[in-house]
Amino acid sequence: MMGSADDVVLEAVDIRKAFGTHEVLCGASLSVQRQEVISIIGSSGSGKSTFLRCLNMLEIPQGGQLRIGAETYDFSRLRRPPRDAQLARLRRNVGMVFQHFNLFPHKTAMENIVEGPIQVLGESPKQARETGMELLVKVGLQDKADQYPQQLSGGQKQRVAIARALAMRPELILFDEVTSALDPELVGEVLTVLKDLAAEGTTMILVTHEIAFAADISDRVGFMVDGTFAELGTPQDVIYNPKSERLVRFLERFTSGNRI
Amino acid sequence: MGYDWDFGAMAPYMHLLWKGLGVTFLYTIGTVISGVAIGLIVGLVRTNASTPVALPFRAYVEVFRCTPLLVQLVWMYYALPVLLGVSMSAATAAFLSLTLYGGSFYSEIFRGGIKAIDKGQWEAGHAIGMRRGKIFRRIILPQAVKVMIPAFINQTVMQLKNTSLVSTVAVGDLLYQGSIITSTIYRPLEVYTLVAALYFMMLFPLTLVSGYVERRMEIR
Repeated sequence: MMGSADDVVLEAVDIRKAFGTHEVLCGASLSVQRQEVISIIGSSGSGKSTFLRCLNMLEIPQGGQLRIGAETYDFSRLRRPPRDAQLARLRRNVGMVFQHFNLFPHKTAMENIVEGPIQVLGESPKQARETGMELLVKVGLQDKADQYPQQLSGGQKQRVAIARALAMRPELILFDEVTSALDPELVGEVLTVLKDLAAEGTTMILVTHEIAFAADISDRVGFMVDGTFAELGTPQDVIYNPKSERLVRFLERFTSGNRI
Repeated sequence: MGYDWDFGAMAPYMHLLWKGLGVTFLYTIGTVISGVAIGLIVGLVRTNASTPVALPFRAYVEVFRCTPLLVQLVWMYYALPVLLGVSMSAATAAFLSLTLYGGSFYSEIFRGGIKAIDKGQWEAGHAIGMRRGKIFRRIILPQAVKVMIPAFINQTVMQLKNTSLVSTVAVGDLLYQGSIITSTIYRPLEVYTLVAALYFMMLFPLTLVSGYVERRMEIR
């Protein structure tokens, strides 16, 4: 799995971010190899979602470096926020799926999926729809192409959102607590899709509370505390042999809550 | 109350009422268009610009929202010419004040509609590599327009009613023509009842449309 340096899709070094005086990220670093699946776990407020949002610059960090493909950003030297066009180019390569789906409610499932390919990649509508249908088949929603988001269940919405991210053929997809807003009985159908993607070699970073799932599909798991990675390693190391007291206690909360 | 209704007495003067109706209608259409144009610009600036840039726009909105239209109209007609040293026709002063008054309210409708859209919609657009302008046009605006429609129709109904104030500076709208006819035939009851009925006949269909649109939006 671990390849040469050329296989690094994304490298974040010493990322810092504060909201006002509150420091959320205090030097978080992560390097992502092609086809790698990384899960980030941690208590709420540990900075894991903010870290994820820094990776596609929905939040602009105030310090550290971010390298994605050929482009490098040094945030401590950045005088003003990157230009809209530059950010848009970066984000073509880094997809994101959100906790609350954020589907476009005035567009059908298919229209949601083809929006990026047609408007951003300049694909023909016919081509985009063909790919869109393949993606809907992949997430098991081929019969929902013409449904509007409000006609879909939470799990179906999230699967459409995953297809929308896949349609851009990004180098890497970020998943921000994508099952947290779902009814418990709908979580499974989304996790199944994620598992399929991981098996196909999609490069993914997941922020999740599904510890057992993370242990199952991840190549590496990161445990975040106070805006930095306290532990980062294989599931075997991090989840089954935690070193720090805090991680032990964190994992106990999940086992006792019978979520594992 | 043995009032002897006589609508027939108005017959020779009906052409004046139709003319007034036309003026009222044109003022409404004209100032809705100009007001919406101003409202759109002001609303967009106030939504997107930094605070110092947006400040004069906010000042404009507050001034025109927080003073009565009648005062604005009279001020434009009698006071502004003194300030600028140029005379302004009643028609121009009326058009200007109705436009600016309507614009201040329309801008708030636009601003509110855009702000009502969840910021996750912007983020979802960004996440698939869309640029701000495109997200605004293709994702935000279509949703915001839906939110705006009821308030928009409501404001347009108000705009039509407000045109009756231009009669105070002798612009020949429906109400003004009514008062002319009244002073000629001394039949205020018939004349003003008919004037009110004509306003009603213009506005009632508009509120029906508004109700229909609102119901349709609830279904979707």
